[in-house]
Amino acid sequence: MTLDTYTSLFESTKSDISKVTIPLQLLADFPYRVKEWVGMSTTARTKLEQKNVSLEKERLILLGQLQRSAELAAENLRLRQLLNATELLMQSVLVTEVIGVSPNPVNHNVTVDRGSEDGVYIGQPVLDADGLMGQVVEVYENYSKVLLITDLNHALPVQVLRNGLRSIVEGTSDYNEMSLRYVSPTVDIEEGDKLVSSGLGGRFPMGYPVGSVASINQRPGEKFMEIKVTPSAKLDRSRHLLLVFTLKDGDVTRDINE
Amino acid sequence: MNRNTTFQPVLIMLFLALILQFIPLSGDWVFWKPNFLLLMMIAWMLYFPDQYGIEFAVIMGIFADFIFLSTLGYHILIFSICGLILIFFHRIVVYLQLVHRVTLVFLMILLVEFMRATIDSALDKPLFIEDILALAVISAICWIPLDKVVRHFYSLHK
Repeated sequence: MTLDTYTSLFESTKSDISKVTIPLQLLADFPYRVKEWVGMSTTARTKLEQKNVSLEKERLILLGQLQRSAELAAENLRLRQLLNATELLMQSVLVTEVIGVSPNPVNHNVTVDRGSEDGVYIGQPVLDADGLMGQVVEVYENYSKVLLITDLNHALPVQVLRNGLRSIVEGTSDYNEMSLRYVSPTVDIEEGDKLVSSGLGGRFPMGYPVGSVASINQRPGEKFMEIKVTPSAKLDRSRHLLLVFTLKDGDVTRDINE
Repeated sequence: MNRNTTFQPVLIMLFLALILQFIPLSGDWVFWKPNFLLLMMIAWMLYFPDQYGIEFAVIMGIFADFIFLSTLGYHILIFSICGLILIFFHRIVVYLQLVHRVTLVFLMILLVEFMRATIDSALDKPLFIEDILALAVISAICWIPLDKVVRHFYSLHK
């Protein structure tokens, strides 16, 4: 136990064995796929029509919002050019599906159905519809392992959306809770403040929602406050995720959008 | 019935236990999912102690360590202690009624989870003490069909 805790002697063996468990994970996921398929096949036509209408409306609203965000992005680009700032990063995404979840409740990682054949790389950020999910830590040919932001071994640089205050969010092995570290009692932070990725460290792109401040506990005599954060992403429920490809502005060597 | 005749059912059960272990769950169910590998080990060691002794517990522990990607030795220790308790009690347990065996499994899971919490606190890992009772109850319920299947093989053996 000591050897495994303090050295990485067995890491490669563990990684090799985890490859073997992929078919088992797929098999365990089979009932969900059947349920999904049955649900799709047996939905009434009227329900599908209603859903189609509501999705069409939602699409229109989102397209309207996108026009506004395109305008903002262009303005941002102009301002950055004026400031001679560093190159902007463009992101394209690839949709992926969760095919397996770690059987150990303490290890927060999932297996997704995209691998090196799809251009997935180690360290690639992963999102769901609501926020940042985690990063790719292992890549195989047709699948990859994603370490979730709530894992005990995960830390992520963030900033408060309201005032730009920078800090680090760490996982606590709880899907609904993370902790914000090294925030001194004198700083301006409130319950409900939104946290976004700060882009520091270069691993995660800037501006993706990470979570919101759930509670702030200030213990007398302590240097830092105890701040709990609720993740934005539905880490234990989302099945369809987005792998973010960060391309340098103007790089058109690969079109990943599918 | 020698070890060769029970080897196939053990392998099939191991396969099923792994499938159940990998079923993705959400919410509190993540913490309430029983350790099916442990339940399977308890069942076979309880009814077939001559064939599945402490070495079986150690092998299952190694297997569990790799499957759960936990620190090597973590499950070996827990499974071995469970195995020792089973070896001590098996002569009495096979003559008990189902309800008593279920109670024994419930107590055993409680013990295992407290052992796990002790090791986790030593390794500075998060503790989920509040979920232990629910986990033990669900494990005891899951034990019932498992007990019936393994007891069937035991009656064939007798």
